[in-house]
Amino acid sequence: MPERQSSEVDDMEITLNTGSTVYQGAIIKGGKTFADAEGYMREAAYCNINPEDFDALGRPWFVRITNEYGDSVVLRAKKTNTQQRGEVFVPRGVWANIVVTVYTESTGSPTYKNLKVDIEKCNGPVLDPVTLMRQEYFGGNMHKIWKEKAED
Amino acid sequence: MTCTDVTCPVCGMSCDDIYIELTDDAVLTKNACLMGDAKFQELRSHHRLTKPLVHGEEASWDEALEKTADILVNAKRPFFFMGSETSNEAMAVGIEIAEYLGGLVDGNATICHGPTIMGLQLSGQVGSTLGECKNRADLNIYWGCNPADSHPRHMSRHSQFARGFWTEQGFKGRKVIVVDPRRSPTCEAADLHVQLKPGKDHELIDALMTMLRGEEPHPTVEEVTGVSRETLNKMAEMVKECKFGVIWVGLGIASSRGHHYNAAIAMRFTHECNKFTKFVINANRGHCNVAGFNQVLAWTHGFPFAVDFSRGIPRYQPGEYSCVDALSRGEVDAMIVMCANLGGHLPKKAVERLAKIPMIAIETSPGTNAFMSDIILPGVFDGMECEGTFYRMDNVPIYARSFTKPPFDFTESNEHTLKQLFEIVKKKKAEKDAREAKQ
Ligand code: SF4
Repeated sequence: MPERQSSEVDDMEITLNTGSTVYQGAIIKGGKTFADAEGYMREAAYCNINPEDFDALGRPWFVRITNEYGDSVVLRAKKTNTQQRGEVFVPRGVWANIVVTVYTESTGSPTYKNLKVDIEKCNGPVLDPVTLMRQEYFGGNMHKIWKEKAED
Repeated sequence: MTCTDVTCPVCGMSCDDIYIELTDDAVLTKNACLMGDAKFQELRSHHRLTKPLVHGEEASWDEALEKTADILVNAKRPFFFMGSETSNEAMAVGIEIAEYLGGLVDGNATICHGPTIMGLQLSGQVGSTLGECKNRADLNIYWGCNPADSHPRHMSRHSQFARGFWTEQGFKGRKVIVVDPRRSPTCEAADLHVQLKPGKDHELIDALMTMLRGEEPHPTVEEVTGVSRETLNKMAEMVKECKFGVIWVGLGIASSRGHHYNAAIAMRFTHECNKFTKFVINANRGHCNVAGFNQVLAWTHGFPFAVDFSRGIPRYQPGEYSCVDALSRGEVDAMIVMCANLGGHLPKKAVERLAKIPMIAIETSPGTNAFMSDIILPGVFDGMECEGTFYRMDNVPIYARSFTKPPFDFTESNEHTLKQLFEIVKKKKAEKDAREAKQ
Protein backbone atom coordinates (compact mmCIF):
# COMPACT_ATOMS: atom_id res chain seq x y z
CA MET A 1 0.00 0.00 0.00
CA PRO A 2 1.89 3.03 -1.27
CA GLU A 3 0.35 5.68 1.00
CA ARG A 4 1.36 3.68 4.04
CA GLN A 5 4.87 3.23 2.84
CA SER A 6 5.24 6.95 2.42
CA SER A 7 4.37 7.44 6.10
CA GLU A 8 6.70 4.67 7.24
CA VAL A 9 9.38 5.72 9.67
CA ASP A 10 12.55 3.89 10.56
CA ASP A 11 12.50 4.63 14.19
CA MET A 12 9.99 6.38 16.39
CA GLU A 13 10.08 7.81 19.89
CA ILE A 14 7.30 6.34 21.95
CA THR A 15 6.14 5.98 25.55
CA LEU A 16 6.47 2.52 27.07
CA ASN A 17 4.16 1.27 29.80
CA THR A 18 4.67 -2.11 31.40
CA GLY A 19 2.22 -3.91 33.64
CA SER A 20 0.82 -7.27 34.60
CA THR A 21 -1.71 -9.35 32.74
CA VAL A 22 -3.56 -12.27 34.21
CA TYR A 23 -2.08 -14.80 31.76
CA GLN A 24 1.47 -13.66 32.38
CA GLY A 25 0.63 -13.77 36.12
CA ALA A 26 -0.59 -17.35 35.85
CA ILE A 27 2.65 -18.49 34.19
CA ILE A 28 4.80 -16.80 36.82
CA LYS A 29 2.72 -17.94 39.80
CA GLY A 30 2.67 -21.44 38.41
CA GLY A 31 6.47 -21.39 38.48
CA LYS A 32 6.55 -21.97 34.74
CA THR A 33 8.83 -19.13 33.63
CA PHE A 34 11.35 -21.71 32.48
CA ALA A 35 9.31 -24.91 32.64
CA ASP A 36 6.96 -23.50 29.98
CA ALA A 37 9.25 -21.00 28.29
CA GLU A 38 7.08 -20.96 25.18
CA GLY A 39 4.03 -20.03 27.19
CA TYR A 40 6.00 -17.34 28.98
CA MET A 41 7.16 -15.93 25.64
CA ARG A 42 3.62 -15.97 24.31
CA GLU A 43 2.32 -14.04 27.31
CA ALA A 44 5.15 -11.65 28.06
CA ALA A 45 7.30 -11.11 24.96
CA TYR A 46 4.98 -8.93 22.93
CA CYS A 47 4.35 -5.27 22.40
CA ASN A 48 0.87 -3.77 21.94
CA ILE A 49 0.86 -0.97 19.39
CA ASN A 50 -1.85 1.43 18.29
CA PRO A 51 -3.05 0.73 14.67
CA GLU A 52 -1.84 4.06 13.33
CA ASP A 53 1.61 3.69 14.88
CA PHE A 54 1.64 0.11 13.65
CA ASP A 55 1.12 1.27 10.08
CA ALA A 56 3.66 4.03 10.46
CA LEU A 57 6.22 1.47 11.59
CA GLY A 58 5.61 -0.53 8.43
CA ARG A 59 3.26 -3.22 9.82
CA PRO A 60 6.06 -5.11 11.57
CA TRP A 61 6.07 -8.70 12.80
CA PHE A 62 8.79 -7.84 15.28
CA VAL A 63 9.92 -4.61 16.88
CA ARG A 64 13.06 -3.59 18.69
CA ILE A 65 12.67 -1.26 21.67
CA THR A 66 15.70 0.71 22.81
CA ASN A 67 16.05 2.89 25.90
CA GLU A 68 18.19 5.97 26.41
CA TYR A 69 21.16 3.87 27.59
CA GLY A 70 21.14 1.82 24.40
CA ASP A 71 19.75 -1.36 25.97
CA SER A 72 17.40 -3.01 23.56
CA VAL A 73 15.05 -5.96 23.32
CA VAL A 74 13.16 -7.61 20.46
CA LEU A 75 9.46 -8.36 20.87
CA ARG A 76 6.54 -9.59 18.81
CA ALA A 77 4.47 -6.68 17.52
CA LYS A 78 0.72 -6.75 18.16
CA LYS A 79 -1.71 -4.28 16.68
CA THR A 80 -4.38 -3.34 19.24
CA ASN A 81 -6.97 -0.66 19.71
CA THR A 82 -6.33 -0.55 23.43
CA GLN A 83 -3.34 1.78 23.03
CA GLN A 84 -3.40 5.49 22.39
CA ARG A 85 -1.15 6.87 19.70
CA GLY A 86 2.41 7.35 20.81
CA GLU A 87 2.41 4.69 23.51
CA VAL A 88 2.99 0.96 23.67
CA PHE A 89 2.40 -1.70 26.30
CA VAL A 90 4.67 -4.63 27.16
CA PRO A 91 3.69 -7.09 29.91
CA ARG A 92 5.97 -7.41 32.89
CA GLY A 93 8.76 -9.92 32.53
CA VAL A 94 12.39 -10.46 31.66
CA TRP A 95 11.95 -8.87 28.22
CA ALA A 96 10.40 -5.62 29.43
CA ASN A 97 12.98 -5.35 32.19
CA ILE A 98 15.85 -5.15 29.73
CA VAL A 99 14.71 -1.64 28.83
CA VAL A 100 13.18 -0.53 32.15
CA THR A 101 15.63 1.93 33.67
CA VAL A 102 16.84 2.01 37.25
CA TYR A 103 16.01 5.67 37.60
CA THR A 104 13.89 5.64 40.76
CA GLU A 105 13.64 9.32 41.70
CA SER A 106 14.83 8.32 45.17
CA THR A 107 11.83 6.11 45.83
CA GLY A 108 13.28 2.67 45.13
CA SER A 109 10.71 2.04 42.42
CA PRO A 110 12.11 1.93 38.86
CA THR A 111 10.41 3.57 35.90
CA TYR A 112 8.14 0.69 34.95
CA LYS A 113 5.71 3.10 33.32
CA ASN A 114 5.79 6.16 31.17
CA LEU A 115 9.28 5.60 29.86
CA LYS A 116 10.49 7.28 26.67
CA VAL A 117 11.97 4.68 24.30
CA ASP A 118 12.71 4.25 20.61
CA ILE A 119 10.85 1.65 18.64
CA GLU A 120 11.70 0.25 15.21
CA LYS A 121 10.70 -2.56 12.90
CA CYS A 122 13.10 -5.51 12.89
CA ASN A 123 13.37 -9.11 11.81
CA GLY A 124 13.45 -10.79 15.18
CA PRO A 125 14.12 -13.20 16.65
CA VAL A 126 12.53 -12.98 20.08
CA LEU A 127 14.87 -14.77 22.47
CA ASP A 128 13.62 -17.35 24.93
CA PRO A 129 14.05 -16.37 28.60
CA VAL A 130 17.07 -18.59 29.25
CA THR A 131 19.00 -17.44 26.19
CA LEU A 132 18.05 -13.84 26.86
CA MET A 133 19.28 -13.94 30.46
CA ARG A 134 22.45 -15.80 29.50
CA GLN A 135 23.21 -13.23 26.89
CA GLU A 136 22.31 -10.14 28.88
CA TYR A 137 23.56 -11.08 32.31
CA PHE A 138 26.12 -13.84 31.99
CA GLY A 139 27.90 -12.94 28.77
CA GLY A 140 26.55 -16.07 27.14
CA ASN A 141 28.05 -18.56 29.57
CA MET A 142 26.30 -19.56 32.75
CA HIS A 143 28.81 -22.09 34.01
CA LYS A 144 31.77 -19.83 33.63
CA ILE A 145 30.15 -17.31 35.92
CA TRP A 146 29.33 -19.92 38.52
CA LYS A 147 32.91 -21.07 38.53
CA GLU A 148 34.32 -17.61 38.84
CA LYS A 149 32.01 -16.83 41.69
CA ALA A 150 32.94 -20.04 43.46
CA GLU A 151 36.65 -19.29 43.19
CA ASP A 152 36.31 -15.79 44.64
CA MET B 1 -8.28 -34.96 50.70
CA THR B 2 -10.49 -31.90 50.56
CA CYS B 3 -10.12 -28.61 52.32
CA THR B 4 -12.39 -25.56 52.36
CA ASP B 5 -11.83 -21.89 53.11
CA VAL B 6 -8.18 -22.03 52.16
CA THR B 7 -6.36 -18.70 51.86
CA CYS B 8 -4.86 -18.00 48.46
CA PRO B 9 -1.24 -16.82 48.73
CA VAL B 10 -0.98 -15.11 45.37
CA CYS B 11 -2.26 -11.57 44.99
CA GLY B 12 -2.95 -8.93 47.65
CA MET B 13 -6.58 -9.95 47.97
CA SER B 14 -5.78 -13.08 50.03
CA CYS B 15 -9.11 -14.66 49.04
CA ASP B 16 -10.04 -16.97 51.90
CA ASP B 17 -12.77 -19.04 50.30
CA ILE B 18 -10.79 -21.44 48.14
CA TYR B 19 -11.85 -25.08 47.97
CA ILE B 20 -9.11 -27.63 47.35
CA GLU B 21 -9.22 -31.29 46.46
CA LEU B 22 -5.77 -32.83 46.66
CA THR B 23 -4.92 -36.26 45.30
CA ASP B 24 -1.53 -37.89 44.80
CA ASP B 25 -1.06 -36.47 41.35
CA ALA B 26 -3.60 -33.68 40.90
CA VAL B 27 -5.00 -30.56 42.52
CA LEU B 28 -8.56 -29.43 41.93
CA THR B 29 -9.50 -25.94 43.00
CA LYS B 30 -12.78 -24.07 43.16
CA ASN B 31 -13.20 -20.30 43.52
CA ALA B 32 -9.54 -19.58 42.75
CA CYS B 33 -8.83 -17.39 39.73
CA LEU B 34 -6.40 -18.28 36.95
CA MET B 35 -3.38 -17.04 38.89
CA GLY B 36 -4.47 -18.57 42.19
CA ASP B 37 -5.15 -21.91 40.54
CA ALA B 38 -1.72 -21.87 38.87
CA LYS B 39 -0.09 -21.52 42.27
CA PHE B 40 -2.12 -24.33 43.84
CA GLN B 41 -1.18 -26.57 40.91
CA GLU B 42 2.44 -26.07 41.97
CA LEU B 43 1.81 -28.49 44.84
CA ARG B 44 1.87 -31.35 42.36
CA SER B 45 4.08 -29.90 39.64
CA HIS B 46 7.01 -31.78 38.16
CA HIS B 47 9.40 -28.89 38.29
CA ARG B 48 9.26 -28.13 42.02
CA LEU B 49 12.69 -27.67 43.60
CA THR B 50 12.97 -30.22 46.38
CA LYS B 51 16.73 -30.57 46.80
CA PRO B 52 19.21 -27.93 47.92
CA LEU B 53 21.55 -26.85 45.13
CA VAL B 54 24.99 -25.28 45.42
CA HIS B 55 26.37 -23.90 42.15
CA GLY B 56 23.91 -26.03 40.25
CA GLU B 57 24.99 -29.26 41.97
CA GLU B 58 22.87 -31.14 44.47
CA ALA B 59 24.06 -30.70 48.04
CA SER B 60 22.97 -31.75 51.47
CA TRP B 61 20.75 -29.40 53.46
CA ASP B 62 23.40 -28.81 56.13
CA GLU B 63 26.08 -28.12 53.57
CA ALA B 64 23.84 -25.61 51.76
CA LEU B 65 23.03 -23.85 55.04
CA GLU B 66 26.72 -23.73 56.04
CA LYS B 67 27.69 -22.24 52.69
CA THR B 68 24.86 -19.71 52.94
CA ALA B 69 25.98 -18.65 56.41
CA ASP B 70 29.58 -18.33 55.21
CA ILE B 71 28.56 -16.01 52.41
CA LEU B 72 26.39 -13.84 54.65
CA VAL B 73 28.84 -13.60 57.55
CA ASN B 74 31.78 -12.73 55.31
CA ALA B 75 29.93 -10.13 53.25
CA LYS B 76 30.54 -6.46 53.97
CA ARG B 77 27.14 -5.33 52.78
CA PRO B 78 24.72 -8.28 52.64
CA PHE B 79 21.23 -7.59 51.36
CA PHE B 80 18.17 -9.40 52.71
CA PHE B 81 15.23 -9.38 50.34
CA MET B 82 12.04 -10.59 51.98
CA GLY B 83 9.67 -11.51 49.19
CA SER B 84 5.94 -11.47 49.59
CA GLU B 85 4.77 -15.04 49.05
CA THR B 86 5.65 -15.95 52.58
CA SER B 87 4.38 -15.29 56.07
CA ASN B 88 5.02 -12.43 58.46
CA GLU B 89 6.69 -14.89 60.81
CA ALA B 90 9.33 -15.80 58.22
CA MET B 91 9.92 -12.15 57.37
CA ALA B 92 10.43 -11.30 61.02
CA VAL B 93 13.26 -13.84 61.30
CA GLY B 94 14.86 -12.58 58.08
CA ILE B 95 14.77 -9.01 59.38
CA GLU B 96 16.32 -10.16 62.64
CA ILE B 97 19.25 -11.80 60.83
CA ALA B 98 19.73 -8.64 58.77
CA GLU B 99 19.86 -6.59 61.95
CA TYR B 100 22.27 -9.04 63.58
CA LEU B 101 24.67 -8.89 60.65
CA GLY B 102 24.26 -5.18 59.98
CA GLY B 103 22.90 -5.70 56.49
CA LEU B 104 20.22 -4.04 54.42
CA VAL B 105 16.66 -5.24 54.25
CA ASP B 106 13.90 -4.62 51.76
CA GLY B 107 10.83 -6.36 50.36
CA ASN B 108 8.65 -6.36 47.28
CA ALA B 109 6.99 -3.12 48.37
CA THR B 110 10.02 -1.31 47.09
CA ILE B 111 9.29 -2.16 43.44
CA CYS B 112 5.54 -2.04 43.94
CA HIS B 113 3.63 0.37 46.18
CA GLY B 114 6.67 1.77 48.02
CA PRO B 115 6.02 5.23 46.57
CA THR B 116 2.38 4.99 47.64
CA ILE B 117 3.55 4.43 51.19
CA MET B 118 5.84 7.43 50.90
CA GLY B 119 2.82 9.40 49.66
CA LEU B 120 0.94 8.21 52.71
CA GLN B 121 3.75 9.50 54.91
CA LEU B 122 3.49 12.87 53.18
CA SER B 123 -0.28 13.31 53.17
CA GLY B 124 -1.96 10.75 55.40
CA GLN B 125 -4.36 8.20 54.04
CA VAL B 126 -8.11 8.01 54.46
CA GLY B 127 -8.35 4.25 54.18
CA SER B 128 -10.83 1.52 54.91
CA THR B 129 -11.14 -2.22 54.88
CA LEU B 130 -12.28 -4.11 51.80
CA GLY B 131 -15.49 -5.06 53.61
CA GLU B 132 -16.34 -1.40 54.11
CA CYS B 133 -16.00 -0.81 50.38
CA LYS B 134 -18.09 -3.83 49.54
CA ASN B 135 -20.89 -2.82 51.87
CA ARG B 136 -20.98 0.90 51.23
CA ALA B 137 -19.28 2.09 48.06
CA ASP B 138 -21.45 3.35 45.22
CA LEU B 139 -18.55 4.82 43.25
CA ASN B 140 -15.36 2.94 42.43
CA ILE B 141 -12.51 4.79 40.79
CA TYR B 142 -9.75 2.54 39.44
CA TRP B 143 -6.84 4.90 39.09
CA GLY B 144 -3.84 3.56 37.21
CA CYS B 145 -4.81 -0.01 37.94
CA ASN B 146 -6.35 -2.86 36.04
CA PRO B 147 -7.91 -5.24 38.57
CA ALA B 148 -9.39 -7.38 35.78
CA ASP B 149 -5.85 -8.57 35.17
CA SER B 150 -3.93 -7.95 38.37
CA HIS B 151 -6.60 -8.89 40.96
CA PRO B 152 -9.04 -11.03 38.99
CA ARG B 153 -11.58 -11.44 41.81
CA HIS B 154 -11.37 -7.88 43.07
CA MET B 155 -14.45 -6.58 41.31
CA SER B 156 -16.57 -9.61 42.07
CA ARG B 157 -15.65 -9.97 45.73
CA HIS B 158 -15.16 -6.49 47.06
CA SER B 159 -16.03 -3.75 44.65
CA GLN B 160 -18.03 -3.43 41.48
CA PHE B 161 -20.05 -6.61 41.20
CA ALA B 162 -20.31 -7.60 44.86
CA ARG B 163 -23.58 -7.29 46.74
CA GLY B 164 -23.06 -5.75 50.15
CA PHE B 165 -25.23 -4.81 53.11
CA TRP B 166 -26.13 -1.35 51.82
CA THR B 167 -25.31 -2.14 48.22
CA GLU B 168 -27.71 -5.01 47.57
CA GLN B 169 -28.18 -3.98 43.99
CA GLY B 170 -24.62 -4.97 43.18
CA PHE B 171 -23.30 -3.42 39.99
CA LYS B 172 -26.64 -1.79 39.20
CA GLY B 173 -26.24 0.49 42.17
CA ARG B 174 -22.60 1.34 41.58
CA LYS B 175 -20.72 3.56 39.19
CA VAL B 176 -17.19 3.01 37.91
CA ILE B 177 -14.58 5.41 36.67
CA VAL B 178 -11.36 4.05 35.17
CA VAL B 179 -8.43 6.42 34.86
CA ASP B 180 -5.91 4.78 32.56
CA PRO B 181 -4.05 5.80 29.41
CA ARG B 182 -4.71 2.32 28.08
CA ARG B 183 -8.11 0.85 27.29
CA SER B 184 -7.54 -2.01 29.72
CA PRO B 185 -9.97 -4.91 30.23
CA THR B 186 -11.27 -3.16 33.37
CA CYS B 187 -12.67 -0.42 31.11
CA GLU B 188 -15.34 -2.85 29.90
CA ALA B 189 -17.14 -2.26 33.19
CA ALA B 190 -16.61 1.49 33.25
CA ASP B 191 -19.26 4.21 33.16
CA LEU B 192 -16.51 6.68 32.43
CA HIS B 193 -13.06 5.99 31.02
CA VAL B 194 -10.73 8.91 31.60
CA GLN B 195 -8.04 8.21 29.03
CA LEU B 196 -5.33 10.60 30.08
CA LYS B 197 -1.90 11.01 28.54
CA PRO B 198 0.63 8.70 30.24
CA GLY B 199 2.20 10.20 33.34
CA LYS B 200 -0.21 13.12 33.64
CA ASP B 201 -1.94 11.87 36.78
CA HIS B 202 -0.63 14.65 38.98
CA GLU B 203 -1.92 17.35 36.63
CA LEU B 204 -5.28 15.65 36.32
CA ILE B 205 -5.78 15.31 40.07
CA ASP B 206 -4.69 18.88 40.54
CA ALA B 207 -7.31 20.08 38.03
CA LEU B 208 -10.02 18.01 39.72
CA MET B 209 -9.10 19.41 43.13
CA THR B 210 -9.35 22.93 41.75
CA MET B 211 -12.77 22.15 40.32
CA LEU B 212 -13.97 20.65 43.59
CA ARG B 213 -13.03 23.92 45.27
CA GLY B 214 -15.32 25.70 42.81
CA GLU B 215 -12.57 27.31 40.77
CA GLU B 216 -11.60 27.10 37.14
CA PRO B 217 -8.66 24.83 36.26
CA HIS B 218 -5.90 26.26 34.11
CA PRO B 219 -6.98 26.74 30.47
CA THR B 220 -4.27 24.38 29.20
CA VAL B 221 -5.67 21.47 31.19
CA GLU B 222 -7.14 19.66 28.17
CA GLU B 223 -3.95 19.97 26.23
CA VAL B 224 -1.74 18.86 29.12
CA THR B 225 -3.74 15.90 30.38
CA GLY B 226 -5.38 14.88 27.10
CA VAL B 227 -8.76 14.77 28.86
CA SER B 228 -11.67 16.90 27.65
CA ARG B 229 -13.36 19.47 29.92
CA GLU B 230 -16.58 17.59 29.49
CA THR B 231 -15.05 14.39 30.90
CA LEU B 232 -13.43 16.34 33.72
CA ASN B 233 -16.76 17.97 34.64
CA LYS B 234 -18.51 14.63 34.53
CA MET B 235 -15.91 13.04 36.77
CA ALA B 236 -16.11 15.88 39.30
CA GLU B 237 -19.90 15.61 39.33
CA MET B 238 -19.81 11.84 39.88
CA VAL B 239 -17.41 12.36 42.77
CA LYS B 240 -19.63 14.96 44.42
CA GLU B 241 -22.83 13.01 43.93
CA CYS B 242 -21.80 9.65 45.34
CA LYS B 243 -22.53 8.51 48.88
CA PHE B 244 -19.32 6.58 49.42
CA GLY B 245 -16.49 6.65 46.94
CA VAL B 246 -13.34 4.57 46.77
CA ILE B 247 -10.20 5.31 44.82
CA TRP B 248 -8.25 2.14 44.13
CA VAL B 249 -4.76 3.24 43.20
CA GLY B 250 -2.46 1.04 41.21
CA LEU B 251 1.06 1.21 39.93
CA GLY B 252 0.00 3.66 37.24
CA ILE B 253 0.37 6.23 39.99
CA ALA B 254 3.30 4.80 41.93
CA SER B 255 5.56 3.72 39.05
CA SER B 256 5.38 6.67 36.70
CA ARG B 257 7.25 9.96 36.86
CA GLY B 258 6.57 11.78 40.09
CA HIS B 259 6.17 8.48 41.96
CA HIS B 260 5.35 9.38 45.58
CA TYR B 261 4.15 12.88 44.73
CA ASN B 262 1.44 11.34 42.59
CA ALA B 263 0.40 9.18 45.50
CA ALA B 264 0.51 12.12 47.89
CA ILE B 265 -1.73 14.31 45.76
CA ALA B 266 -4.15 11.41 45.22
CA MET B 267 -4.47 11.18 48.99
CA ARG B 268 -4.97 14.93 49.32
CA PHE B 269 -7.65 14.65 46.65
CA THR B 270 -9.42 12.14 48.89
CA HIS B 271 -9.28 14.65 51.76
CA GLU B 272 -10.87 17.21 49.44
CA CYS B 273 -13.63 14.81 48.40
CA ASN B 274 -14.49 14.26 52.05
CA LYS B 275 -15.78 17.82 52.16
CA PHE B 276 -18.66 16.64 49.98
CA THR B 277 -19.15 13.00 50.78
CA LYS B 278 -17.42 9.98 52.30
CA PHE B 279 -14.36 9.03 50.28
CA VAL B 280 -11.48 6.61 50.88
CA ILE B 281 -8.35 5.61 49.02
CA ASN B 282 -6.86 2.11 49.01
CA ALA B 283 -3.83 0.70 47.24
CA ASN B 284 -4.40 -2.35 45.06
CA ARG B 285 -1.39 -4.24 46.28
CA GLY B 286 -0.19 -6.82 43.84
CA HIS B 287 1.36 -9.51 45.94
CA CYS B 288 0.08 -11.77 48.62
CA ASN B 289 1.90 -10.51 51.68
CA VAL B 290 3.57 -7.42 50.31
CA ALA B 291 1.65 -5.31 52.82
CA GLY B 292 2.86 -7.66 55.55
CA PHE B 293 6.49 -6.77 54.94
CA ASN B 294 5.73 -3.10 55.53
CA GLN B 295 3.78 -3.94 58.66
CA VAL B 296 6.37 -6.29 60.14
CA LEU B 297 9.29 -3.95 59.49
CA ALA B 298 7.26 -1.01 60.81
CA TRP B 299 6.32 -2.73 64.04
CA THR B 300 9.78 -4.14 64.65
CA HIS B 301 11.93 -1.21 63.50
CA GLY B 302 9.66 1.74 62.83
CA PHE B 303 10.06 2.02 59.06
CA PRO B 304 8.05 0.44 56.24
CA PHE B 305 10.83 -0.65 53.82
CA ALA B 306 14.38 0.14 52.61
CA VAL B 307 16.21 -0.14 55.93
CA ASP B 308 19.95 -0.29 56.56
CA PHE B 309 21.32 -1.72 59.82
CA SER B 310 25.00 -1.15 59.13
CA ARG B 311 25.39 1.37 61.97
CA GLY B 312 23.60 -0.80 64.47
CA ILE B 313 20.40 1.22 64.33
CA PRO B 314 17.74 1.05 61.64
CA ARG B 315 18.04 3.85 59.08
CA TYR B 316 15.39 4.41 56.42
CA GLN B 317 16.15 5.94 53.05
CA PRO B 318 14.29 4.92 49.90
CA GLY B 319 16.51 5.58 46.91
CA GLU B 320 19.58 4.66 48.88
CA TYR B 321 18.93 1.52 50.90
CA SER B 322 16.19 0.26 48.58
CA CYS B 323 16.96 -2.85 46.58
CA VAL B 324 17.15 -1.49 43.02
CA ASP B 325 19.26 1.50 44.01
CA ALA B 326 21.69 -0.36 46.25
CA LEU B 327 22.18 -3.06 43.62
CA SER B 328 22.59 -0.75 40.67
CA ARG B 329 25.14 1.34 42.54
CA GLY B 330 27.08 -1.88 42.95
CA GLU B 331 27.53 -1.71 46.69
CA VAL B 332 25.77 -4.93 47.66
CA ASP B 333 28.21 -7.87 47.87
CA ALA B 334 25.87 -10.73 48.80
CA MET B 335 22.17 -11.21 48.46
CA ILE B 336 19.61 -13.53 49.98
CA VAL B 337 16.19 -13.58 48.37
CA MET B 338 13.26 -15.26 50.04
CA CYS B 339 10.23 -16.09 47.90
CA ALA B 340 10.55 -13.38 45.29
CA ASN B 341 11.35 -13.48 41.63
CA LEU B 342 13.98 -10.78 41.43
CA GLY B 343 15.72 -12.13 38.33
CA GLY B 344 12.54 -11.55 36.37
CA HIS B 345 11.31 -8.33 37.93
CA LEU B 346 14.20 -5.97 38.44
CA PRO B 347 15.53 -3.74 35.69
CA LYS B 348 18.58 -4.83 33.77
CA LYS B 349 21.20 -2.85 35.62
CA ALA B 350 20.15 -4.28 38.99
CA VAL B 351 20.04 -7.85 37.67
CA GLU B 352 23.52 -7.39 36.22
CA ARG B 353 24.75 -6.84 39.76
CA LEU B 354 22.89 -9.95 40.96
CA ALA B 355 24.78 -11.96 38.35
CA LYS B 356 28.09 -10.78 39.76
CA ILE B 357 27.62 -11.34 43.49
CA PRO B 358 26.97 -14.51 45.47
CA MET B 359 23.24 -14.96 45.65
CA ILE B 360 21.14 -17.29 47.76
CA ALA B 361 17.50 -18.03 47.04
CA ILE B 362 14.79 -19.66 49.08
CA GLU B 363 12.89 -20.77 46.03
CA THR B 364 10.26 -23.24 44.87
CA SER B 365 10.67 -23.41 41.11
CA PRO B 366 13.49 -23.18 38.58
CA GLY B 367 12.67 -19.73 37.24
CA THR B 368 14.57 -16.52 36.64
CA ASN B 369 15.52 -16.13 40.27
CA ALA B 370 16.90 -19.63 40.67
CA PHE B 371 18.82 -19.00 37.45
CA MET B 372 20.70 -16.11 39.08
CA SER B 373 21.38 -17.96 42.33
CA ASP B 374 24.49 -19.75 43.56
CA ILE B 375 22.71 -21.50 46.37
CA ILE B 376 19.11 -22.64 46.30
CA LEU B 377 17.30 -23.65 49.46
CA PRO B 378 13.95 -25.28 48.60
CA GLY B 379 11.04 -23.10 49.67
CA VAL B 380 7.80 -24.02 51.38
CA PHE B 381 4.36 -22.73 50.33
CA ASP B 382 3.03 -20.77 53.24
CA GLY B 383 -0.70 -21.09 53.65
CA MET B 384 -0.60 -24.49 51.98
CA GLU B 385 2.25 -26.51 53.48
CA CYS B 386 2.60 -24.57 56.70
CA GLU B 387 0.50 -22.05 58.58
CA GLY B 388 1.25 -18.37 58.76
CA THR B 389 -0.20 -14.87 58.77
CA PHE B 390 -0.55 -12.62 55.75
CA TYR B 391 -1.60 -9.01 55.59
CA ARG B 392 -4.28 -8.45 53.01
CA MET B 393 -3.97 -5.35 50.82
CA ASP B 394 -6.16 -3.34 53.21
CA ASN B 395 -3.71 -4.17 56.03
CA VAL B 396 -6.01 -6.66 57.73
CA PRO B 397 -4.06 -9.68 58.99
CA ILE B 398 -5.38 -13.02 57.75
CA TYR B 399 -4.41 -16.28 59.34
CA ALA B 400 -3.65 -18.92 56.73
CA ARG B 401 -4.00 -22.56 57.73
CA SER B 402 -2.07 -25.37 56.11
CA PHE B 403 -3.61 -28.44 54.56
CA THR B 404 -0.60 -30.47 53.51
CA LYS B 405 3.11 -30.93 54.28
CA PRO B 406 6.22 -29.93 52.32
CA PRO B 407 7.68 -32.68 50.10
CA PHE B 408 10.91 -32.82 52.16
CA ASP B 409 11.73 -33.17 55.82
CA PHE B 410 14.69 -30.86 56.43
CA THR B 411 12.45 -27.86 57.04
CA GLU B 412 8.84 -27.23 57.98
CA SER B 413 8.46 -23.66 56.79
CA ASN B 414 10.47 -20.73 55.46
CA GLU B 415 10.47 -19.42 59.01
CA HIS B 416 12.01 -22.70 60.16
CA THR B 417 14.63 -22.49 57.36
CA LEU B 418 15.67 -19.01 58.44
CA LYS B 419 15.74 -19.99 62.10
CA GLN B 420 18.09 -22.87 61.32
CA LEU B 421 20.21 -20.51 59.28
CA PHE B 422 20.26 -17.93 62.07
CA GLU B 423 21.74 -20.45 64.51
CA ILE B 424 24.60 -21.21 62.14
CA VAL B 425 25.08 -17.52 61.35
CA LYS B 426 25.42 -16.73 65.06
CA LYS B 427 28.02 -19.44 65.50
CA LYS B 428 30.04 -18.36 62.48
CA LYS B 429 29.85 -14.71 63.40
CA ALA B 430 31.15 -15.44 66.90
CA GLU B 431 34.05 -17.40 65.41
CA LYS B 432 34.83 -14.61 62.99
CA ASP B 433 34.72 -11.96 65.73
CA ALA B 434 37.04 -14.07 67.91
CA ARG B 435 39.44 -14.50 65.02
CA GLU B 436 39.49 -10.78 64.32
CA ALA B 437 39.95 -9.92 67.99
CA LYS B 438 43.05 -12.10 68.10
CA GLN B 439 44.71 -10.45 65.12
S1 SF4 C 1 -7.88 -12.86 43.23
FE1 SF4 C 1 -5.84 -13.03 44.09
S2 SF4 C 1 -6.09 -13.93 46.12
FE2 SF4 C 1 -8.01 -14.26 44.95
S3 SF4 C 1 -7.80 -16.28 44.02
FE3 SF4 C 1 -7.04 -14.81 42.51
S4 SF4 C 1 -4.84 -14.64 42.92
FE4 SF4 C 1 -5.77 -15.63 44.69
